[in-house]
Amino acid sequence: MITVKNISKIFYINKRQEGMLGAIRSMFFREYIEKIAVNDISFSISPGEIVGYIGPNGAGKSTTIKMLTGILVPTSGEIRVNGVIPYRERQKNARQIGVVFGQRTQLWGDLPTVDSFELLKQIYQIPEKKYRKNLETFTEILGLDEFLNTPVRQLSLGQRMRADIAASLLHDPAVLFLDEPTIGLDVVAKDRMRKFIREVNKERGVTVILTTHDMSDIEKLCKRMILIDKGKIMYDGELAKIKEVFGRDRILTIDFEGDVPFLEKGVQLIRSEGNRKWLKFNLEEISTAQLLAEIAKKNEIKDFIIQEPEIDYIIRKIYERGL
Amino acid sequence: MAGLCGKLRMYLEFSRISFQRAAAYRFEAWMRLFSNVVFLFMWGFIWYGLYMDRDSVSGVTFQSVFSYVLISQMLQGIHSAGTPLWEIQEKVRSGDIVTEIIRPYDYPTRLLFADLGSIAFYFLTAIFPLYSVIFLIFRPLIPTSPEQWFLFFLSVVLGYLIRYFIELTFGLFTFWLIETGGVEDIFYFAISLFSGATIPLWFFPGWLNTLARYLPFQGIYFVPNAIFVGELGGTELFSALTVQLFWVAVSFLILRFVWYKAGKKIVGQGG
Repeated sequence: MITVKNISKIFYINKRQEGMLGAIRSMFFREYIEKIAVNDISFSISPGEIVGYIGPNGAGKSTTIKMLTGILVPTSGEIRVNGVIPYRERQKNARQIGVVFGQRTQLWGDLPTVDSFELLKQIYQIPEKKYRKNLETFTEILGLDEFLNTPVRQLSLGQRMRADIAASLLHDPAVLFLDEPTIGLDVVAKDRMRKFIREVNKERGVTVILTTHDMSDIEKLCKRMILIDKGKIMYDGELAKIKEVFGRDRILTIDFEGDVPFLEKGVQLIRSEGNRKWLKFNLEEISTAQLLAEIAKKNEIKDFIIQEPEIDYIIRKIYERGL
Repeated sequence: MAGLCGKLRMYLEFSRISFQRAAAYRFEAWMRLFSNVVFLFMWGFIWYGLYMDRDSVSGVTFQSVFSYVLISQMLQGIHSAGTPLWEIQEKVRSGDIVTEIIRPYDYPTRLLFADLGSIAFYFLTAIFPLYSVIFLIFRPLIPTSPEQWFLFFLSVVLGYLIRYFIELTFGLFTFWLIETGGVEDIFYFAISLFSGATIPLWFFPGWLNTLARYLPFQGIYFVPNAIFVGELGGTELFSALTVQLFWVAVSFLILRFVWYKAGKKIVGQGG
């Protein structure tokens, strides 16, 4: 469905000089800073996959999405989306993809939501029957009817996101690009969004690529994730596998009776707040029961919690030392 | 063929929506109309003053000039309802331009049709009623034959396209320059001087007149205005229309070229 071969994107940013003299100088001599946003990345995505595309701010996520949607022209490399080179055949590509930018609506602010949909029907030349059916389905799942006649500008963020994702799917695209679709949403709204994405993927076979900062998006939606940092792919593969590699670590939080200088072999103290200590250990080295027994021998334990590592932590680990 | 019809319907849908939207911004439209009329009277009085105790200047009567000013203000009023330069700048600066790029339509064409919609609204609800009254009161020169009317309308359309293509092209420069103030100034200066919007070209000194007649800007207001008041006729009229047509074609090609280049120049915000 999507193949990306050795693409890079370099931005040339105008370098600003400091002070008055610098300002005058830069009127005549311009200096550019090269910023490599995406650096020689390759991957391919099969039909029907949901792939999480993640990385910290400025990692090159949005740049990649913008190249795949045809907005940006790559500096080098090859892209095909369903056989189409996006930046060369923008309009053709536009017909077969749906795009949602979490940070920016694509609907017409002063039109009632349903008018925006009607306009999209004209733009994508969606047959009446198909349009009715899709709109009905989405209205039902996403509960659009409560605001269909409200101008987009007056919608809450959650409503707006629902309207936007429905809008992006009206023309039955083969691929759906979601750039931070849950940003700023509350837990309930996030959940609703994820459910909808899962359903669309399952029922309609839409290939989904989503970028996010929220790891629970990935955990709840994707089997596969691509991790990018500084324009390079750090990991591309199953989410489960990554959890396996790092998944043997546990965090034990203990409240002690009284202040204790704590030290146990093979256990790392990662945080300490008064009587509460956060300890990290690895199941390969010591079992939880064993560790607790050891600690209980010398100290009075008031309370404790054991946590599996969250994916954020795993990602931080990969950044720190690689796979 | 069916595809073409569908496309046209889609673009017309944008006209329809702008038409509706224009209704929501009535206050802005009234303010624009107000300043348009203020300028009309200002130019009227200036020419009136210049013509005191004189029957004609450079062989042109006061009535011709006054009629010229009237039709010119009316056309300027129509033009003012669609200004793609601002829209493009706004979209590029805010980054909303990306949402135009990922749609299966041609952005410049969409803009043109959208503006035609708001022009239609402004014309029907403001310009036409107001100028009907003004025309009835002041009784300026108007075309005397159906052919003259036809040539006038043709020339108005060509003039509109010339201005639109040039303005769009200037708007697209925002893709390269974040601050386009200087470029805009050139555009507005050229329009206000060379288009004949306020001073008919026949009052220009010889060399400036000749220069202006070959520039694209005179096709925007001067040619239709002059046809309207009957100061342009015969072979002169046809060569003026030819020059207009020539500039429509050239400015269109330049626009398409700049648009093509701009498409490769989009810089997205964020990583």
